[in-house]
Amino acid sequence: MRRVLITGAANRLGTVLAAELLADPQTELVVGLDTRKPDLPPHDRFVHVDADLRSPDLARLIAPHRIDALLHNDLLQFPEPGRSARTLHDTNVVGTLQLLVAAAAQPELRTVVVRSTASIYGSEPQAPAFFTEDMADRYPLRTRWQRDAAESEKLVAALARRRPEVTCTTLRFQPILGRTLDTPIMRLVSSPVIPTWMGFDPMVQVIHGDDAVEAMVVALRRPVRGAVNVAAADTVSLSRVLRRLGKTAIPLLPGAYGTVLGLAARLGMPRMDDDTARFLRYGRGVDTTRMRAELGFEPTLSSIGAIELVAMAQAEAA
Amino acid sequence: MRLPPLPPFPPLTAGPREDRWGYDPDFATAAQPWLDFMYKRWWRVTTTGVDRLPRDGPALIVANHAGVVPWDASMMAAGIRRHEGPDYRHPRFLVLDWAFSLPWASVGIRRFGGVPASPHNALALLKEGHRVMVFPEGAKGVGKPFSRRYRLERFGRGGFIELAMKAGAPIVPCAVVGSEEIYPKIGELPLIARITGAPYFPITPTFPLLGPFGAIPLPSRWRIEFDEPMALDHLPSDTVEDRAKVFELAEEVRQRIQAKVFSNLVEREGAF
Repeated sequence: MRRVLITGAANRLGTVLAAELLADPQTELVVGLDTRKPDLPPHDRFVHVDADLRSPDLARLIAPHRIDALLHNDLLQFPEPGRSARTLHDTNVVGTLQLLVAAAAQPELRTVVVRSTASIYGSEPQAPAFFTEDMADRYPLRTRWQRDAAESEKLVAALARRRPEVTCTTLRFQPILGRTLDTPIMRLVSSPVIPTWMGFDPMVQVIHGDDAVEAMVVALRRPVRGAVNVAAADTVSLSRVLRRLGKTAIPLLPGAYGTVLGLAARLGMPRMDDDTARFLRYGRGVDTTRMRAELGFEPTLSSIGAIELVAMAQAEAA
Repeated sequence: MRLPPLPPFPPLTAGPREDRWGYDPDFATAAQPWLDFMYKRWWRVTTTGVDRLPRDGPALIVANHAGVVPWDASMMAAGIRRHEGPDYRHPRFLVLDWAFSLPWASVGIRRFGGVPASPHNALALLKEGHRVMVFPEGAKGVGKPFSRRYRLERFGRGGFIELAMKAGAPIVPCAVVGSEEIYPKIGELPLIARITGAPYFPITPTFPLLGPFGAIPLPSRWRIEFDEPMALDHLPSDTVEDRAKVFELAEEVRQRIQAKVFSNLVEREGAF
């Protein structure tokens, strides 16, 4: 891995990752693909390509940089004002397809790493406590995000079959926590009150943003074939998380959950996506044996450690 | 009979000592007086053969299942705790998946060491060295009508044999007598079961007739016996693939439990 293309280079994880790769003298070039300019100091080994994933001349735009590795970090999880559900699907599925087609046209490409999500397993009451990588199609895909993630993973698998000399790694991240991140879980954690499901206290597992970036760096250096779960080793009860964060839980009756949140969203509170809502009800744990044994990556922070770090950052900011 | 004073039931929120399965030893300890009351006063349980359980390392405890609401796992745990004292190792147990979609109950079960009935969970727990209790009859056993009491239902495909072999854990058969009478099921309301997604909706002489009072179990007399452990490690490792052999071993375990149910039934001398 010498010449890397990073998609979504302007989002927080992409930017930190680019900086991390540039800090390594072995890296010849980092190409940041995004419609916004990444917040990075000028660097002679960094190139910003201002393009949308859906742009048809992607292959032509990236060809001059002779990339040998691709890190796809631009799957969007939730719609927002100005970013409709339609756009989301376009970016996640059509965008990934275009990107992989463009990447496959690069003769020197050897490594593809995709930031996917553990949401692909779903949050189910009867689920095994720890999902292994082969359980992705165990339960029906219930949300748009799950379907998008599953579809883009299929596209990656197709590329892996067609181009056996390219090692394709799909990293399935549990929710990523970090003070500066804008993820659904962070929006939830930063709100003053947290709506919970009355009578439920799920086991949750997360990963800290710094560890998430490190996992992507490791995957670029030592790619493995197929999907790898990325998460801290431990799972904790939601009640412990809330206690640690000092948040007030508002238990809602299961039947009224959607209605109350819909009303709150109309009053200007952040909207909660379906995946996070289900995660708060049933939780999810993943098995990290493959991450440790094959990818050779060990997160520095446990789930509870990541939560404590966020709690401290929040206390400092307050 | 004077009732001993009971401490308040512990809150369901997790303490700092919970493990990655959601089991909280502090919750299990705090719930103990309640279980002890049911064990000693209500059902007057006699437990034998606890010393046959391996002192350390994994063990797969296989028991019969009956009584509409499965109290048996908690009473088996209480029996082991009373006999082992300070050396007590809390067993984990597999619970019908459906229970984990219920509010409160799902949390309480998990805090007490229950996990959704999935072979992945059982195997991982055994590999961690835990004692795991399974009830191969599953919902067929708990939900059987009162007229079929003391007779074990069939044992599925014998998945527990595969588990024990893969984990290198001995199987400890266990017979429970008395759970059969706690809620004598004399009928069913399948429509309500279908609406709620429950495996069955029972009719007993007191439920749903007396409403919540119908949920009070009858004070039958119980006996629990742990049988000699059955080691499987002398079998060739490819036995796991041999469906017929696995099925035969499962049937052997079932027969042993059935025999112990009958012998304990004789020793119990009367259900109440």
